This record gives sequence, structure tokens and C-alpha cells, in this order.
Amino acid sequence: MRRKFKIYKPFINAGLQEATTYRVNWVFLTLCNVLACFVSYFIWKAVFLSSGSDTMNGFTMPQMVVYIFLMFLTSLLISSGGTYDIGEEIRDGSIAMRMIKPISYNATFLFQELGNKIMTVCILVLPIIIGVEICRTIFTGAIQFNIIGFILYILSCIFAYLINFFFNICFGFIAFVIKYLWGANMMKNCLIGFLSGSVIPFSFLPDILEKIFLLLPFASLNYTPVMIYMGIYSGFEILFYMGLQVFWVVIFWGLSKMLWHIATKHLCVQGG
Amino acid sequence: MKTIKRAFRMHRIFVIQELKRMMEYKGDFIVGIIGFLLGQFFNLLFIWIIFSQIPNLVGWTLEQIVFIYGFSLIPKGLDHLLFDNLWGIGHFIVRKGDFDKYLTRPINPLFHVMVEKLQIDALGELIMGIALICIVLPSLVIEWSFIKIVMILIVIPFATLIYTGIKIATAAIAFWTKRSGNITYMFYMVNDFSKYPINIYNNFVKTIITYIIPFAFTAFYPAYYILTGENPLFNIGVTVLIAIVIMSIGIFIWNRGIKAYESAGS
Amino acid sequence: MIYAEHLKKEFKKVIKEPGLKGSIKALFKPKKEIVTAVDDINFHVSKGEILGFIGPNGAGKSTVIKMLTGILTPTSGECRINGQIPQNNRQKYVKEIGVVFGQRTQLWWDLPLTETYNVLKEIYEVSDENFKKRMAFLNEVLELEGFIKSPVRTLSLGQRMRADIAASLLHSPKVLFLDEPTIGLDVVVKDNIRNAIMEINKEEQTTVILTTHDISDIELLCKRIVMIDKGKNVFDGDLHELKSKYGQIRELHFETTTKDISNVLAYKEHFNFIDDDISVNVDGNLVNVRFNSSVVPVSEMLKYTLQKIDINDISVKDADIEEIVRRLYKQGV
Repeated sequence: MRRKFKIYKPFINAGLQEATTYRVNWVFLTLCNVLACFVSYFIWKAVFLSSGSDTMNGFTMPQMVVYIFLMFLTSLLISSGGTYDIGEEIRDGSIAMRMIKPISYNATFLFQELGNKIMTVCILVLPIIIGVEICRTIFTGAIQFNIIGFILYILSCIFAYLINFFFNICFGFIAFVIKYLWGANMMKNCLIGFLSGSVIPFSFLPDILEKIFLLLPFASLNYTPVMIYMGIYSGFEILFYMGLQVFWVVIFWGLSKMLWHIATKHLCVQGG
Repeated sequence: MKTIKRAFRMHRIFVIQELKRMMEYKGDFIVGIIGFLLGQFFNLLFIWIIFSQIPNLVGWTLEQIVFIYGFSLIPKGLDHLLFDNLWGIGHFIVRKGDFDKYLTRPINPLFHVMVEKLQIDALGELIMGIALICIVLPSLVIEWSFIKIVMILIVIPFATLIYTGIKIATAAIAFWTKRSGNITYMFYMVNDFSKYPINIYNNFVKTIITYIIPFAFTAFYPAYYILTGENPLFNIGVTVLIAIVIMSIGIFIWNRGIKAYESAGS
Repeated sequence: MIYAEHLKKEFKKVIKEPGLKGSIKALFKPKKEIVTAVDDINFHVSKGEILGFIGPNGAGKSTVIKMLTGILTPTSGECRINGQIPQNNRQKYVKEIGVVFGQRTQLWWDLPLTETYNVLKEIYEVSDENFKKRMAFLNEVLELEGFIKSPVRTLSLGQRMRADIAASLLHSPKVLFLDEPTIGLDVVVKDNIRNAIMEINKEEQTTVILTTHDISDIELLCKRIVMIDKGKNVFDGDLHELKSKYGQIRELHFETTTKDISNVLAYKEHFNFIDDDISVNVDGNLVNVRFNSSVVPVSEMLKYTLQKIDINDISVKDADIEEIVRRLYKQGV
């Protein structure tokens, strides 16, 4: 196990260094992502102001603020971008460079991202969590931080990350069919943004939609961890939705293996 | 005069070239357009769901919000359609050294970069913007006059240039830092604020999007003028002024940037 | 035609220490260092000449080319091409030059090749009539016919290079800069491209500056070469000069039936060679002796060798340029 980890250590380092090499850029990217939260914050503030009541669909304004920032935080934690061009790499043959190395293709991506993630956690996640907790304490007058909830949240985030990771690998294979992925990616992001509850909590949707969305893999991405963190899910619900997360991890893992298999076969035929 | 004529001719040639390129990848471009349409669709779904729970948003009706939203997509879409290649400067053109090509050609590099590509995805935004305006127009009470129509025709290209100017300025930073795509991206995130009426924001945000990164002039102020007919001097006049200022700043930074590139290399 | 005088180019470079600590340090406090890529380079090229520009990787060749083409501005010193300083009025200047960077393409990737030429025609404001003539000429020299209708992305590397060279020549430039034009090509295609360059040079008196790592490019194309290393001129002169100056190296190649020749043959001791002037390579019964013929004449070497051992077959060769360059690089002169 230790030895195995040693092989991948350079990849973690590479991810970290990648994040620091273009430092100006990296700081700005992080800043602009926080901005999006503030747009939602102001819209929701206006919405609550206009609705004339303190709660909307089970959310108070402070809860909404916590929701927005936790959603943002969670998407940072579970984001996965390294696999974006897997299909492209297979098609133009540059995948060969990865295949000749005696290590798992997925794992190299995974560990490279891990490096990037360490950076994110250090610089962003901790301040946001502390900020969120301070807000919650001020709003409710009592400390809300729950260590078990937090541990479950982290665990749920790990599952969510894996779903995202394998989902993106599957998605990357689209490059076989579509050369230019920008539009398709845009479509994916919008769809995920909505279906994962990042844009609006599911409780604002019609009942039937809420029930369907909760079972889709996208809810397993952001929504489940955030609900666990906020203490909205009960013990049984936590068990059920985390079980669902594991289910989706397995499904997308299997699917990505299958696509990989098909794609590399195609590679041989092409002689790429 | 000759330069302008040549510029238009070159622009036309590049556009034709791009259209030919698109014909090679029809499917891809359709996916792109649909992607952007869908993106806007989800944003609207959000607005619509919210409005199903409240009568109005701090005094704005659903129709008015949709109008402002729709209007915001037009300058944005135009800039996106015509001058999207500037993104490439900040992302990879400078970093990979591909900018050399533009310096070995006998046309202005900025012009060359700007018109080289056509981003057909932007049609998704433009179509959505126009469709939204058309849908809500009948239910809005707007007084139309000849002057107003002239004003609209003037303000749209200038609002577009606000985007373009900001993109030029931020892209040019790459000449020093090698990569600046994310800086441009940050400005674009600020632009998200401008899709909604600015009185939902606190004074800090209002000041920023009016005076510092004046995206409010790409959408809210002109749209407000169209809706109410109030204060054209500010809503339209300042938009034009700001567009000119921002373009000047952008071109200034760009020219300094090219100098830095020439002396730093890749 | 082309003058480079005391050309110097310095870059600022951010130094990053290795490892995580270095990464974090670079994030907050980048350390900068000034690197001199090109240092006091002087040369001149006359009209119609083909100049080979050689040097090891990182010697500063590309930086010099970029200064000559107006992409980079020298830190100090000056270059003049046709009386113009490239940086002064770049847009006007570049109409008189053609540039090919072997590692990049200026062709429109997704479109048929003809489309690129049509656009370049407009960019360089070539008249319809000239364009037609020009295309006919380029077609003949570079044999574009077979693939001119195909999208660029489907071209082979050799075809792409021919297409790129044609693109750079469309506006009849007076000077052509070729940065590694034969990189990655097979022998036949290389030959093709060399012939084309020669023909263009002959027909139109186009001055050509080319950088390359392929010594045969130099031998076949260039009468004159400039060699730089670590940003400095190390040699400037024609090929004969280089050969006579550094080219006293000869190779003795023979097959022998004598066993254990290293005990029998003792060139070094017998002739008092110093280390650099001789090297012996034994591979089974094949022997290769490389020596400096200004220290010991070939005849003496042969005599000694034939006296000492039984020879089946023997030959003497001139050292090729490659060997000279190798020695030059190694010594750093």
C-alpha cells in the first residue's frame, strides 16, 4: 500500500505545482467562483424580502445563506476536471503516452487532482466552513457545529467526488463523437447545476419533480452532502442517500470501464 | 478610410472562413448552440420557480425581470459571437507561443485576433434573448417613440463594446502573466450581477457594477430606459461614454502588453 | 541585406524551487532571475544567400530568429533587414519576409488547404494575377497538387510542411526564415523540401535563413553557416572553412583477423596522440579509428596499421560535418 502510494506521489505534487505555477490565475479563479455565491445571495435576499414571510419551503433566510455557501463549497470539493479530454486523447492517440506508463490511467488523474484539492482545502474550504459556522452561531445563538455530521459530510463528499470523477470520464468519451466539447460541456454544467440543487433547493420544486430529482445521480453530487451537513436528513435518510451514492459510484465506475474498453479497442482498429 | 474598408473586407473574409469551418462540424455547432440555449433555459426556470412563490421581486414583475434578462443576453451574445477569440489569448495563445503568428502578419494583431473566429454557440444566447423579449413584450406597457428606437439601435453596439473592451483589457494581462483567462472569467462572473435589477443589491455591489466594472450598463440601465423612458442621458449616454472609455483602456493595456510580449518572448 | 549587430536579449525568469515548499514560496514571493539568451551576436547575410544557423538546443537560435522577424525586441544591439529595423514598423516589414516555424503551423487546421491560401492572399494583399502566378509556381516547386483540396488536419507532416512553406512564400518575400523546416520528416521528404528551398532561392534570389539540427540540411543547402552556443557566436564562415579549420579528422575503418588487437596496436603511445585526437572503437573484428590527421598523416597511420596486423578490408573516410559539430559543441570552442 505504501509502495503503491509512492508511485503516485509525484502526481499529487504535479497537481499542487500546477496550481501554484500560474499563481495570479489561480487566485483569480477562486475569487470569481465566490462571486457567483454573492449573486445568489442577493437574489435570495430580495426573494425573501418580497415574499413577506420568514420561511419559504422550509428554508429561513439564514439557512438559505448557509445552503448557498455550502453548495458552493461542496462543488469545489467534489469538482473534477482532469478527465475532460480523455476522449480527445484517445482519438488523437496521445493517450498512448499515458498507457505506456505502468500505472493505472484513472489513478494518475485521481492523484493529480488530489494535489489540486489539498490546495483548495487549505486556502478556501477552511475559511468558508469557519465563516459558515460563525454565521450559523450568530443566527441561532448557539453553536451548531456537529462533529458527527461533519465527518459524515466529508464521507459523503468523497462518494460525491468519485461519482463526479467517473461521470466526467464517461462524459469525456463524447469527444469521440463531438470534436468541440465546449458546447456539450456547457450543457452538462447547466444540467448538473440544476439537477444537483446548486441553483435552487429541491423543496422549491413541485413534489413530483423533487422525488424524481432526489433519486437521480446528480442529487448524490451536491445535495446529499449539504443536507447531511445542515442536519436536515434523519438517521435513516442519511443511510439511504449515502447508500444511493455508493450505488451511483459503482454504476459510473462500471460504465467508465466499459467505455474505456470500447474506446481502446477502437484505438487499435485505427492504429492510432 | 482605406484602412476601414480593408478592415471590413478582412472581417468578412474571416467570417466566411469560419462559416466554412462550421460546415465541417455541423453537429458540434448545433450541440454548442443547444448548450447555450439550455443554459439560459435553466436560469429562466429558476426565475420562474421563484416567481411562482412571490408576487413580485422588490417591485419588479416577472415580465420586467425577464425583459431585463433577455436584453442582457443581446450585447453579451453579440460580443460572444464576434470577438470570442480574445478568450484564447488569456488561455493558450500567448502561453503556447502561438501569438507569434499574429506578429508576423501585416495586419493589426488585435484586429486579427478579434475577427479570426466566430463563436456560433453565441446564437444560443442571442436567440434566447430575442425570444424572451418577444414573449414578454405584449404584456409590458412600453411607450414607443422614434427616438427610443434610435436610442436602442445606438446603445446595443456600445453595450457590446463594454464586453469587448473588458475582454481586451483582461486578455492582454496574459502578455505579462502568460495566462489570464481566469481574470477575464472573473469579470464575466461580475457580469452575472447585471442580469437582474440593480436595486436588489446593496450599495457596495451597486457601486461596483455601475462605476468600477460597469456591467450594469450592458443590460440594466439601457433596459430600464426602454421600460420606463426615464433619464436617457444617464441610461444611454453614459453607456456610450463608458463603452468608449473601456475600449480605450483595453486598447491601451493591449498595446503595452504587446510591447511586453515583444521584449519578454515566450 | 541582413545585418545583426551586437544583438542581445535578456529574459526575466521566475525561479521555482522544487517540491511543495518551493511551490508555496513561488505563490507568494516569486524569485526572478535574468537570463541572457542571446549575447552579442553579429553576422550579416547578403542577398540570395542561404545561411545555416546552427547550435545545440537552447543555444538561442529561435530567439535570434524571433528578433529578426520582429516578434521580439532586442534588449540591445540592432538588426536591419533590407534597411529596415523590424520592430520599427512591423506591419510593413513583415510583408517582405516569410516565416515558417517547423513546430507550428499557420494553416487553417479544419479547412482545405486552398482556403488558407485564399485568406493569406487577402492578408498580404496579393493581387489576383500575382496570386495565380504564384500558386502555379509554388505548386510546381512544392508539389501541392495532390493535397491542396484536403483539410489541413488530414495532411501528413511532410505535406503540411510543404504547405506551410508555400504559405510563407505566397507574397513573394525577399527573405525567408525557416525554423527547423525538416524536423521530424523522413529522408525522402527532407530531400524534397531541400530541393524546393534551393529552387526558390535560385529562381527568385530569395535570401534564406534556416535553423536546423540536421547536418545534411547544412551540407546540401548552405554555403555559409553561423554557429552559436549559449547565446554567443562560435563560428561564422563557409562550410569549407569549417571543414579545414576543424575538419582534420579522418576515420580509418577496417576488418581484421588478428585477435586482441588492442594489445598489438598502440596508436596513442606510438604517435604520442593526446586524448582528444584519437579514439578507437572495436566491434568484434571490425575496427574504427578516428584521428586528427594534422598530428599524424593518414599515410603514417596506414603504414603502422598494416605492419602490425592482418587486414581484410580497409577504408579511409573524411569526417563529416556532424562529427565536426559534435566536437565543437563538446568543446564549446
